[in-house]
Formats: sequence, structure tokens, C-alpha cells
Amino acid sequence: MISIRLIAICSFFCAIPSMGAGADIAVALTNEIVEVDTSFSGAKLTLFGAVSGIEDEDGDGSLDGVDIIAVVKGPQTSFNIRRLEKHAVIWMPGQSHKVASAPSLYVTAATKPIDQIAAIETQTTHHLQADFLPLQLQLTDEMEGNLEFQSILRSAFLREVQALGLYQTSVGAVQFQKQGLFTINIDLPSTTPVGSYSVSVLLFIDGVLVGDDETMLDVNKVGIERHIFESAHNRPVSYGIACVALSLLAGWIAGVVFRK
Amino acid sequence: MQIYLPIAEIAVDPFVIVFLGAGVGFLSGMFGVGGGFLMTPLLIFYGVPPAVAVGTEASQIVASSVSGVLAHLRAKTVDFLMGAFLVIGGVLGAIVGIFLFRYLRGIGQIETFITVSYVVFLSLIGSLMLFESVRALFLASSGTPPKRRRHRSVEWMSVMPFAMRFRQSQIYISPIPPMVLGFFVGVLAAIMGVGGGFILVPAMLYILNMPTKVVIGTSLFQIIFVTAVATVLHAAANQTVDIVLALLLLSGGVIGAQMGARIGVKLRGEQLRALLALIVLGVGAKLLLDLVAPPQSFFIIEFAS
Repeated sequence: MISIRLIAICSFFCAIPSMGAGADIAVALTNEIVEVDTSFSGAKLTLFGAVSGIEDEDGDGSLDGVDIIAVVKGPQTSFNIRRLEKHAVIWMPGQSHKVASAPSLYVTAATKPIDQIAAIETQTTHHLQADFLPLQLQLTDEMEGNLEFQSILRSAFLREVQALGLYQTSVGAVQFQKQGLFTINIDLPSTTPVGSYSVSVLLFIDGVLVGDDETMLDVNKVGIERHIFESAHNRPVSYGIACVALSLLAGWIAGVVFRK
Repeated sequence: MQIYLPIAEIAVDPFVIVFLGAGVGFLSGMFGVGGGFLMTPLLIFYGVPPAVAVGTEASQIVASSVSGVLAHLRAKTVDFLMGAFLVIGGVLGAIVGIFLFRYLRGIGQIETFITVSYVVFLSLIGSLMLFESVRALFLASSGTPPKRRRHRSVEWMSVMPFAMRFRQSQIYISPIPPMVLGFFVGVLAAIMGVGGGFILVPAMLYILNMPTKVVIGTSLFQIIFVTAVATVLHAAANQTVDIVLALLLLSGGVIGAQMGARIGVKLRGEQLRALLALIVLGVGAKLLLDLVAPPQSFFIIEFAS
């Protein structure tokens, strides 16, 4: 398990004529790299933060009307999507279509259901739910221009990436502690792709977006695992020969050990 | 505990993999079969992408064949000339198989192809084994000694050109049939991740008419070369060889094989063979079910490369 501490700091204080008018939110990471190694079974990101400039009127730790939405996005990538078709008695994948540009990972975390925090327009502008991500679908052959199939494909894509854990929403993952301190807990799947991630944090007061900030996070493959992956892809022939040599050696050792 | 497999790109429980290796190794030690034809489907059931299961199995078979080959080399029960022709055919077959594999992977049909091949192949092998063992059990219980198969001279083989003497095997045949046989087994090795011993051995005995004592050594000699070439080709053309997975499987496999070999000699062969046949048929049936049952999801997605 890897934990990442993210410190969200209120960037400036000001007098508050009406609550939140001067509130803002800023994020900073203390550890900006997630390392995928041979023990990587999914990373747990724990982000710590603080909101100030807003008063905790009843002193119970929660800030009334104040909500936070965090969005973690992986590098943009393209996916192939295929529908299974029945041929004779077996199901096999049909024509491949393309989702040309979509985040490879998309995780949102919030203090309460996102629909209860932000208006649809805000959600659309800031891509606060997967439904509002601009996916560029490229349909092939006779399906090209078929709007109905396009929308089927779109919802199928979102369902599949959610099933894989690549897209997820975590309500209640952002929790206020006290004095405007809050924590965000996000679980990343073991399939988390490598690359440069963006983490944005949005601050809402009574449904109005009053501040946001963004920072970057790198997911890397490290250790022997990265070494294996890179040699398999960059020097495939040497890697193959090394695999055979290692297999011969391992088989020979096993034979010697068990010869009695 | 979880280990992240770098090529399969999934996290697995290493103990499950070692246990799988040991289980299949146990069966192969007990029955003297390679086990690739059981391991590949089991890896697929566990969630390893089929293409990676096949590529990785090729490298694992290299490892599990080494000690057998060495033992036969010491005992001088390898027909090198015959082995060479089998290897030539096998390497050509592996190259053709890899090209087919790469093509099918490109059009996204490799998983279906591997599964269908296994269904066909496991049901054939399983039924034959079951039939043979049930027949033997039936003959044993009725008191009739099982009829020994005679080595028939195959007439079409004697008309093939370039006939030559294979001294170790004491036969005089054309090298074309061994090369064709090797080719066929090479294709299977490349697209299914099997050694192919269960085809090589009977074919060498009953078609090539080789004497029993050189058959196992010579078939292992061919298998180790062809699976080694298939491993390098898979790594080069498809990047589907996961060495971490192979080593985990191997570490369980060697222990299982030793235990299986020791227990195998104490138990009655035909009943065990019937049991193995049922296991093989069961695995084939599960694969078939996965193909014909309505899928849970009608869409599949993958990262575009």
C-alpha cells in the first residue's frame, strides 16, 4: 500500500462578509509519485487538507453548506471497444470501434453525492462525473454515423471502465475532520496505468463553485517489475532469449536438487 | 499477499500460482505428460490474458523439460538425427504459428481462437484417453489380456523420397514424415502453449515405427528446442512472455512433478488415466461453456496500443 499525502491549503484568508465569498482552495502533494512495483495491488491515496476562510459556526467539525469534490484523472489515452456477437453457437468479439480520447483513469471523490453538490452545468464544465466526459467515439464501417449505436457504445464503455475499476466515484471519501481540516481517501486499482495524473480539488459553498486548484501526480513502474516490463517491450528479442536461458537454468537447478 | 505480474499486468496471489503449478506438475509427474494443455486453460480461468498464458507456458515447458532431456542424454536414448528433422519441422511450424497468432491478435480474435482450439483439442484427447482406459479396465476385469498393438509398417511412408537410415532408431525412412509431424507440433506449441508430447509420442511409435526406448528422449529433445524458439518468437513478436509468472509456476511445478512421479508408481494406472481423462474433459467443457453461455457483459474494452 502506498499512501500519498496531499495537503490542501487555503491560499489566502480574508474577511468574510458573506460566508465563503473569499474562500479558496489550493492543493499540494507531499509525495508526487505512485510507484507500481511487484507488490502493487492497488494504491490507497490518503490526502490531507484544510479549508480556512470559512467559519465552523456550530463547532461540530462539519462546515455547513461547504462541499469538496476531488477529481483524479489519468493520462488521456484511446480505447478499443468491441461488441460480442453470436456466431453459430459461440460468442466472439465483433468489429472494433475506438474511443479516441478518454482519461485512462478517472476517480472522483466528494463529501456527498455529486448531484447534490453541483448543478449540471458546473458538472459538465468541470467533468465532475464520467457521464460528462467528452469521449470521441470513432465508429467503424456501417456503424459510422449511427447515433443510436454511438450512445449504446458510450454507455457500454463507461460501464466497462467502471467494472474494471478504472473509473469510479467515491461518495463520502472526502470527510471533514475539525477546524476545516479534511481527508480524502481514494483507492486506485492495481491496473492503474502509468503516466502523469492530474488531481483537482473543487470547493463548493451552497452549491456554488468558489475555488479550485490542480496539481500533478506521477504513476511510475519501479524496481525489477519496471525493468522486466521495459526490456520485454524495448528489447524483446534479448528478453526472449533471457527468458529461455532463465528457464533452462531453473529447470536444470530443479533437476539437480531433486535427483536422488 | 499479491504480486504484480509485469507482462500479464494483473495482480495475482503468488501462492495460488505456485499451487496451480504444483497441481499440474503433480499430474504430469504421475502420468508422464507435459501438462501445458491443462496449465494454459487454468491460467485463463484465473484471469491471465490468454495470449500471455500461451506465451508464458512455452517458457515454462522449456524449464520443465530440461531434467528429462538431460536424463535421456545420459542414457543415450535420444535419436539426434531424427530429433534434428523433428526440430527443423517444429521451428518452421512455430514460426508459422506465431505469425498466425500475431495476425489473430491484431484483429482481436486471438482469445476466441485459443479457447476454440482448446475445446476441440481437450475433448479429442480426453475422449480418447477415457475410451482407452475404460477399454483397458473392462478387458482387465473380464480376464482377457489387453491385445498388444503390432507395429504396422506404414505403406505410404515407404514411397516417400530421400529415405535414409536412422541408426539410433534402427529404421530406414524418408525425413519428410518427421518434418511434417514436427511442423504440426510446432504450430500447436506456438498457438496453444503446449509441448505436444501427447501427439509426438504416439505418432513416433505408431506412424514412424520408432522403438519405445528412444521415443520419450527424442520427443523431449524436440519439445525443448521448439518451445525455446516459440518463447523467443512470442517475446519478440507479441511481448506475451511473463517470466515472473513462468518462474512462479515452475517452482510449484517441479515439486508437484516429483511427488506425482513417486505416487504414480504405487497406484493403478488405468483408473488414474480415466481420472485424468475426466479432468481434461471437465476443463474442455468449462471452456466450451464460457464460449456458448451468454456473456455477462456484451462489450469488451482494451487500451489501444
